[in-house]
Amino acid sequence: MDNNYMSEWKKGSIRIGAPTNLLAAATAFIPVIWLCMTYDCWPDINLVLSGWAMVALSFGAFYVVEPISYYAALGLTGTYLSFLSGNIGNMRVPVAALALEATDSKPGTLQAEVASTMAICGSIITNLAFTTLAALVGAAVVAVLPVFISDALTKYAAGAIFGGTFGNFAVKYPKVAVFSLFATLAVKLLINPPAWVLIVFAVFGSLAVARLFYQMDKKKAAAK
Amino acid sequence: MDDYLKVANSAIVWVLCGITVAIALGQAILYMRMAKKTAAKVQMPSEIPNKAFRIGLISAIGPALGVFIVMVGLMASIGGPMAWLRLSIIGAAATELTAASLGAQACGVELGGEGYTLTVMAVSWFVMALNGAGWLVVTGVATPALEKLREKMSGGDTVWLAVLSGACSLGIFGYLNVNEIIKGWGNAIASIAGAFCMVLLVKFIVPKCPKLLEYSLGIAMLFGMFCAIMYDIAVA
Repeated sequence: MDNNYMSEWKKGSIRIGAPTNLLAAATAFIPVIWLCMTYDCWPDINLVLSGWAMVALSFGAFYVVEPISYYAALGLTGTYLSFLSGNIGNMRVPVAALALEATDSKPGTLQAEVASTMAICGSIITNLAFTTLAALVGAAVVAVLPVFISDALTKYAAGAIFGGTFGNFAVKYPKVAVFSLFATLAVKLLINPPAWVLIVFAVFGSLAVARLFYQMDKKKAAAK
Repeated sequence: MDDYLKVANSAIVWVLCGITVAIALGQAILYMRMAKKTAAKVQMPSEIPNKAFRIGLISAIGPALGVFIVMVGLMASIGGPMAWLRLSIIGAAATELTAASLGAQACGVELGGEGYTLTVMAVSWFVMALNGAGWLVVTGVATPALEKLREKMSGGDTVWLAVLSGACSLGIFGYLNVNEIIKGWGNAIASIAGAFCMVLLVKFIVPKCPKLLEYSLGIAMLFGMFCAIMYDIAVA
């Protein structure tokens, strides 16, 4: 019963998500194509490609690593929504995780999909409202804001959210949390690998540690 | 020198950028409709989607304020409409500035500097669009495969699936926090104080007052920021 609804949900999710994400990838080029056509300023394609190659050196691995790493936290619909609307670490995952907890939903269930979808949609509406507001009145507002407030928001808001969300998961899986934070910190300080390597280490390392403890607990339970 | 900004801020660019912003909004609306319909179909209490939506709406205010301020900075260098487009979809200020600057550097000039002509701006815009397309195309094409991967890794064990999701999130946030911690004392304090506040809230206060859970992330964020600012003031 629930399985039927789940596969229906997944089908619907893909039907909405796949075309919209691909469409947005294409429509994001409309302004630059207009620019080049109107001012006849088509750049040399080699310049564009070499610029992109340089960016891909810093971010290219993330195109693949991020969707994989965030998938378990976001789910099917959440992945489409989050990778179209961005702000994944500081907004989408934290609100999805909090919504699962507040509605007492288990990951992988239909209720979890509904709750995380609604939470992410809510956060997208807030985000769009604020970017649109920034476009309209941003400069005027920032000009009158005390420096320590704008400092707090630009420098520290993300860190505090990352910490808060980490703390929430750490309460549930304290042993894994110790590894996720301290082993990752040690690798960063001692080896300092490229960012995408560090993400892969943190996610799959935590997964391996969690698996280990999970198996141990299972054995213990079986022994009793 | 500011000529390129005049073009970048022209009314038609706002409209053209609005197309993609509208798609992001449209997708969210379609998914909300689907979630509400599904909830009704399986007779899930309507309190669940409503509460989840409220959590998303409220908890995002803090980080969205951060985006607001960063966007004002970005508007000054790439123009209002582009900043609006890039920060409404995948991409963060740092990513977009990097993409725009590297595009300019490929042409041998600095972003907004001497020789930043419309042609160079076109390179910057192309590079930003190409970079953003990376994530959109990968998720647009490969997301169903990720779902299969998750099913395989969980092997139908729902208890393990929950642990797996938690472990992945811990890994990601371990990584994100490490990046903050190594930035300096202020950032480290923000992230550690945020974590401690959340642990205290979830362990000791929420059990007595469950309503507070919805606001816990917002409270933890304010506390983390407050501690970091106190540190800044104490040092200065």
